Amino acid sequence: MHLAVKALAAHGLAAFLLALAPSAQAADIPTIRVELNDGQINVRRIELPAKQRFRVEVVNKGKTPAEFESLPLGLELVVAPGSTRTRALPGKSPGVYPFYDEFHMETTKGEFVIK
Amino acid sequence: MGQVVFIMWRESVEALLVVGILHAWLSNTPEAAGGRRWLWGGVVLGLVLAALLALGIYSAQELLLDWQEQFQTLMVLVAAALIVQMVLWMRAHGRTLKRDLEQDLSVKAAQRNWWGVALLAALAIAREGSEAVVFLYGTLAAAPQEQLPLMGLAAAGGLLLALATFWLLQLGGKVLNWRQFFRITEIMLLFLAAALLVTGVEKMQALEWLPPLVDGLWDSTWLLSDMGRVGGVVAALTGYRAQPSLMTVLCFAGYWAVMWGMMRRRASPGQGRA
Repeated sequence: MHLAVKALAAHGLAAFLLALAPSAQAADIPTIRVELNDGQINVRRIELPAKQRFRVEVVNKGKTPAEFESLPLGLELVVAPGSTRTRALPGKSPGVYPFYDEFHMETTKGEFVIK
Repeated sequence: MGQVVFIMWRESVEALLVVGILHAWLSNTPEAAGGRRWLWGGVVLGLVLAALLALGIYSAQELLLDWQEQFQTLMVLVAAALIVQMVLWMRAHGRTLKRDLEQDLSVKAAQRNWWGVALLAALAIAREGSEAVVFLYGTLAAAPQEQLPLMGLAAAGGLLLALATFWLLQLGGKVLNWRQFFRITEIMLLFLAAALLVTGVEKMQALEWLPPLVDGLWDSTWLLSDMGRVGGVVAALTGYRAQPSLMTVLCFAGYWAVMWGMMRRRASPGQGRA
């Protein structure tokens, strides 16, 4: 293959990947910070306007791993101790959508309240 | 402690069902015994993949983490397709495999199918296995010294429970008549594929590759929450959702319509053998 073709193919691939990766879109959208700490959680109720894209930043301050999950939002983030993971999500219709840290599900229940 | 046992079992039950049912099927079709090696090959590959994915989560490498969601989406959808393909293949060939192999007709077809078996086992294990690895490693690493033996015991308990599930399936394959066993396990696998499809479709909506059409078409949380202990297992094994979007419901219904049509066209391999 010619070098130019290769470069073009690589460029095309990069553009394609960028278009797919949600985290690559650096738009100004509200960011919610969720702090998990071995079964403790800093927020139980997250209010957001309807149809507004948002970003969830999950910080695991504990010593054990966490899995921040909300089935109705299609969100599932496994977070190692001491690390942070971020996901951008599409806006939702008004409603109440539950979330929890699945690895500490008894003590970390909360909900997204979309108005 | 009970939490550790439950989560270990919960994170491994999907993979166990897939591997356990495939193993029982292959064991009950003597002509298909060659496929068992492919199945175990897939299991080993799946364990390696699970460890790599877990490492990706632990290393917190941005590159790996950013792509995990897309990769997970691809994995569930491919796994769902492979399960359906496997069920249809068993229906079509389970009964005639010996005759076909003697006539040298389906050697190539069988070969292709074994690749599917290996890949399916690998995907099933890699997907949830990575979470089990992260959970187990993290829990053991964080446990205070005096709690370690207890935690180790709990992890072993979860593993034993998982092995018991596998053993129960093998026993079912021997005790029940083949036709009944095939019917039951076939339905379990089709539900599992539906659950994987629902998960994949929801991930695609979260990635904005698919529109939800209508969010939260209904809310049956009061009846069975899909994020409770029991409801969570039901959701993982059947695709049940308490607040599904219209897109999710359409995909779920469409899947069953297609499956129903395909099942009607193909006879069960148990026929004539039981």
